[in-house]
Amino acid sequence: MSAARRGRLLPYLLLSPLVVFIGALSFVPTADTTVEAFFRVMPLDPPDKFTGLGNFRALFADPAITTSWENTAAYVVIGVVASVVLGTAIAVALKQRFRLRGVVLALVILPWALPAVVEAVIWSWIYNPTFGVMNSSLHSVHLIGGYHVWLGLSRWLTIGLIEIVQVWQITPLSALIILAALQAIPTDLYEAARVDGAGPLQAFRRISLPLIRPALAVCSVEALVLSLNIFDQVYILNGIAPLGSSVMLQTYVTTFENLNFGGGYALSLLVTLATAVASMAMLALLYRRTEAA
Amino acid sequence: MKSLGTVSRRAGVLVLSVGLAALAAACGSTGSGSSAGSSSSNSITVAVAYPSPPKALLEQFTKQTGIKVTWVNIGWDDLQTKIAAAASANTYFADAADVDWSKVGEYQKTGWFYPLNKYFDVASLRSDMPQIDTFISDNDLMGMPFDSSFLVTTVNTKDFAKAGITTMPATLSEFTADLKKVGTANNMASPLDIHFATAEGLSTCWYQITSAFGGQVLTSKDTPAFTSPTSPGYQALAWMVNAYKSGLVPKGNINETDYQGFTTEMARNRVAAEMCDYSGSVASIYQVPSTSSVVNDTEYIPTPGASGAGGNVANPDGIGIPKTAKNVAGAVKFIKWFTSTENQATWAGLQGAKDVVSTFPLPARLSSFNLMVKAGNIAQASQLATILQAHAKAPFPNGAPPWYVQFSAAVQTNIHEAAAGQETVQQAVTAIASEVSQLKSSG
Repeated sequence: MSAARRGRLLPYLLLSPLVVFIGALSFVPTADTTVEAFFRVMPLDPPDKFTGLGNFRALFADPAITTSWENTAAYVVIGVVASVVLGTAIAVALKQRFRLRGVVLALVILPWALPAVVEAVIWSWIYNPTFGVMNSSLHSVHLIGGYHVWLGLSRWLTIGLIEIVQVWQITPLSALIILAALQAIPTDLYEAARVDGAGPLQAFRRISLPLIRPALAVCSVEALVLSLNIFDQVYILNGIAPLGSSVMLQTYVTTFENLNFGGGYALSLLVTLATAVASMAMLALLYRRTEAA
Repeated sequence: MKSLGTVSRRAGVLVLSVGLAALAAACGSTGSGSSAGSSSSNSITVAVAYPSPPKALLEQFTKQTGIKVTWVNIGWDDLQTKIAAAASANTYFADAADVDWSKVGEYQKTGWFYPLNKYFDVASLRSDMPQIDTFISDNDLMGMPFDSSFLVTTVNTKDFAKAGITTMPATLSEFTADLKKVGTANNMASPLDIHFATAEGLSTCWYQITSAFGGQVLTSKDTPAFTSPTSPGYQALAWMVNAYKSGLVPKGNINETDYQGFTTEMARNRVAAEMCDYSGSVASIYQVPSTSSVVNDTEYIPTPGASGAGGNVANPDGIGIPKTAKNVAGAVKFIKWFTSTENQATWAGLQGAKDVVSTFPLPARLSSFNLMVKAGNIAQASQLATILQAHAKAPFPNGAPPWYVQFSAAVQTNIHEAAAGQETVQQAVTAIASEVSQLKSSG
């Protein structure tokens, strides 16, 4: 084998461990899940047998699953909109130079660094109806007359409060990505705009926003994927109650509570497809706008 | 000097080797990586939702048998998922593992655990271990009880005394009336703790209150025994929902789990009574000064029933041997040691605090109770032994059905929704009954 040929093979050799890793830990399980989704796999009622689209039909006929899809859609809408809007606002604020900016930056990152389970536990204490900070704070400023039960009684309130926890966690990363994009914009552009009489708001709309759109696209997709796959916060704050259940929680319930592995595989496959399709659609939409801009 | 090509090739092969080795390590889940631990002929891994016995005592076991024990304490819910995942993937995770009473039918049907009949003589153990039947499904002993937890009513005697109540209520109507007086006397808006979070504790609490009303929720043929409004199961569900809606139970309990109730409500004197407490809570929670403000104020009482003392639902933990265990003989020796009369008493405090297994409720054996009563170092030991022997019964006449998990999910979801006002008691009962029919028909 010539030296040139060996040189050409080197990149492939260097990549091969990664390919083996991803193949073994991602593609093989995905392929296995895809195949098993078309089988009835129930340890309590063996043997496994091919069922075609049976698992999928059963999933769509189950009101708990359809409710969880609706809930998940709400988690996604709130998660994407809130984390991108708040992330942009935080990034714009952090772009300014001020004292203790480094400390503020570190504090902003903190929620992102904490595990979701820890955050959900912290927020469960905040929402606690008997001694939670939320009740005492709102009560002390006379916004509520008495202590309220926040979770588990109203569907949309429960979903909103659970999603606040996730937004709290994912917004810091969005803020950092957007901040990096903002800092990469040449200051000449802002100076030119100022000379032309543009105010800060106009400069943001006409210069910053178009140029940070790729960053917004990344943040939106990140928020979408995390919100679509929300589990820990829902499980800890609301248990398996259908009221605020997400589709990932239902996947867990179907698989490990109901021991319906075939149904769990099918639901996992649907979540994967939904995540892929929604992410690609969002990227295509935002990048097309970026290019048009 | 070696050629660049040779160096590149060797570098590539090295990188590939390292990658494959790392992959092998990551995928080797039967090892000590993602799994519970390793096992060989002279070692076992024990995976239970319990803290370990003192190290010195485990070392004693190793000295006696030559078997080294790796103890893995996993949260109960996580452990159930791990058992199901490992069993369905036919992967080793432990040699001895938690067998919850609610999983007995499931494990018997799936064959995920070995029946233990050939290692333990059920007939001779029955008189000493009143809860052993809870672990039998279709004549197979799927686990050995290693504690004797059962559900019990606990009251704060100081709060009751402040309301002028010194004779404890014997019936549910007396209990309800007394609680109202206790609430007024202690300025306690909601004096009773019942947990309504969608968790196993809510299902168990329904079985317990059904038992207080004098019945069980399923028949011996595993059909619903709770659909008639006069049935104990129906009355219990209605009583629970009414207790919540009428304010006897704090509104915040809609999302509260059992242990949250014990530790943040009862132990902090925010309520004056627990309807579905666990035997052992007084010693392991309420008598602990660092976390309790009701030390010396709580006691167990006979379950207030429909017309006198009601029943107590057995809620014991068991230990069994998964089919994927590598050291079955070692696991059997360990289970015998762990559930022996002396050790059961030791875990509960017979030899003093240093040998106590943290949060251990009560021994599984009456002979261990006798040792404790003689030593006089467990609160209300003789009363608990009486309840255990006379009143603590398995929740279901035929053992937990194989489809228990789905049944329990329907129970907790519907009771939670009825309390939250999202459905009526009748709708909840109909939905649970419908789930039972569906589960039975699907095998």
